[in-house]
Amino acid sequence: MGCEVVLSKATTQATLTAGSAIALDEACLSLKIYLGHVQSLIGQCTYILIPRISNLGKDRELCPRFEALYDVTRDTFRHSEQKFLTYDVDVKKGKTEETAFIALGVSLGATHKDSKKAYSAALKDAEQLWKERVKQQNLLLGKDGMHILIAAHSYVIEDPFMGKPITTYLTKQGAIPLRADVGIREDALKSSRALSPTCPWELNREIIGGIRMYKNKVDGIILLSAFPCGTDAMVNELLLRELSGIPMLNLVLDGQSGTAGLETRLESFLDIIRFRKELVL
Amino acid sequence: MTQKRSVAMTRYAEYNCAIRYCLENGLGVTCILQPELTARTMELGTQNSPDFVCTPFKTTLGSMIEALEVGANTLIMVQGSCKLGYYGELQERILRDMGYQFDFINLAEYNTGKKKDYIKAIKRINPDVNMAKVAVAALEAVKMVEYVDEITGTLYKNRGFARNKAEFDRAYRRFLSDMYAASSKADIEEGYKRVKQAFASAEVCKPTHPLRVGIVGEFYTAMDEFSNLQVERKLSDLGVEVYRWMTLSNRTLHYAGENNLQVKIKDYANFTMGPTSTANIWAAKNYAERGFDGIVHIKSANCTPEIDVMAALQNLSEDYKIPVLYLTFDAQTSDVGLMTRIEAFYDMLSMRKKVLV
Repeated sequence: MGCEVVLSKATTQATLTAGSAIALDEACLSLKIYLGHVQSLIGQCTYILIPRISNLGKDRELCPRFEALYDVTRDTFRHSEQKFLTYDVDVKKGKTEETAFIALGVSLGATHKDSKKAYSAALKDAEQLWKERVKQQNLLLGKDGMHILIAAHSYVIEDPFMGKPITTYLTKQGAIPLRADVGIREDALKSSRALSPTCPWELNREIIGGIRMYKNKVDGIILLSAFPCGTDAMVNELLLRELSGIPMLNLVLDGQSGTAGLETRLESFLDIIRFRKELVL
Repeated sequence: MTQKRSVAMTRYAEYNCAIRYCLENGLGVTCILQPELTARTMELGTQNSPDFVCTPFKTTLGSMIEALEVGANTLIMVQGSCKLGYYGELQERILRDMGYQFDFINLAEYNTGKKKDYIKAIKRINPDVNMAKVAVAALEAVKMVEYVDEITGTLYKNRGFARNKAEFDRAYRRFLSDMYAASSKADIEEGYKRVKQAFASAEVCKPTHPLRVGIVGEFYTAMDEFSNLQVERKLSDLGVEVYRWMTLSNRTLHYAGENNLQVKIKDYANFTMGPTSTANIWAAKNYAERGFDGIVHIKSANCTPEIDVMAALQNLSEDYKIPVLYLTFDAQTSDVGLMTRIEAFYDMLSMRKKVLV
């Protein structure tokens, strides 16, 4: 569409520190980091794009924070001169992702047709990328070794400050980290119903479905969440009660800068799995 | 189910009288009223809940355990659009793991988008139900909810200025016990009339410009006296006119609707931020515009939508120069710390008023 895109830099301790200073005390770690990123972009561009996603349909809700994200950001940075943009996805009210992005394009001065074209191209790319990821994961699954399934939201597991140190550590210890949310999404959503019939949250349903699909192919599961994630607090409790016969670790990240405590827990978890494997063999 | 149904729902402010009325008069089943919420309820709930789930999950779980202890064999759980929508499933699982045996009617399972599926839930509670009777009882129960909200509102607007506060409290308690015992429409009306008379005859000397405080907050904690450690009572003890828009009848029966309320608060929020966010920001703005002296925002620990509402309320407080006291309630049952904060807030408001007037 001819816009120049500016991206904030990878998360560091400084991002979190900046975010914590402006966010409300009780906000979750992810929101604090997000506001830190917004802060770093203030004054760097004409608009900052903040998504607003309420739901993708019935029983496909996002956590209320995704609903509130645009307004919270705007309220937080009210005294800056910065302008914000949003796209509003609320399928229950007839606003699909497509109509939301087209409306965004039109508000930026593009024609309806061009906006639609840009959206379709982006969607195609995103789908291609996702297929590639699923393929990569299946390759990893076929490799020999200790497979650890990590159940976490993508914005936690992929964050260089939150989730990355964990996957890096696991790989360094010779384990193969896999992601519960990477898979065929439609299947995962459907499959989640068998384990949790009334879970209303899209992202958690993907993870539940993923766990069901991968459970018998991995050696251990790590439930990874950011403090104090409300949806995870409930869903992870159910998973801990529901799943059995496989070692599970419930890890809550709270923005501590040292990794020694985390490594001790991961190390002992891997030890448990190793002992267990030796016993079985 | 061969056993006779004894149905209970978790304790929820003073609305269990209407639930009881609807179940017994409409559905023709026995309603079990468990003990009122106490520190013990909270302890039972906290022990068996995940750590950082929002507090009403713990309170309602504790209250369900207490219902099972006094003989309920069927539990009903409502559904909602935040974490509340998932309460039922997880609570049932926890109670079963604890070893309790009961029939669980989780309205989230009947929330299919089709209204007639709720009829299935009613039929499950009592297959021989007379739907006409249910409709009549439901209407009368709705009336009861409206009365409870109205009378509670009147109480805290006037109690602070009564010559004899105990007179108000006695009339209010009598009214509630009338509602819990009502078995006909006449009983409801009579109880309502009696409390109205008692309130009207009680001596009240209100100054021309009393301190006025508006309460906004989350759906469970703002309404439930036990959960908010009686904030309204404490404020009225100090001689404050207390207003609370957030009631069951205002939010559900008389609600103007999200889309049109959103227009009035567009400076603070363009979109709905969660179940009660729009209503709360609107109510706070309304209090500010009407010249209230202060606002109290009540929420439970880890209530995601209400944390986000605070960002909007901070701006509103700045624009209208109105002080806001933010209170977060967790499983704490001691109110000493709260009292200190409320007293300090009251002192600040009254000094401010003297300067401004």
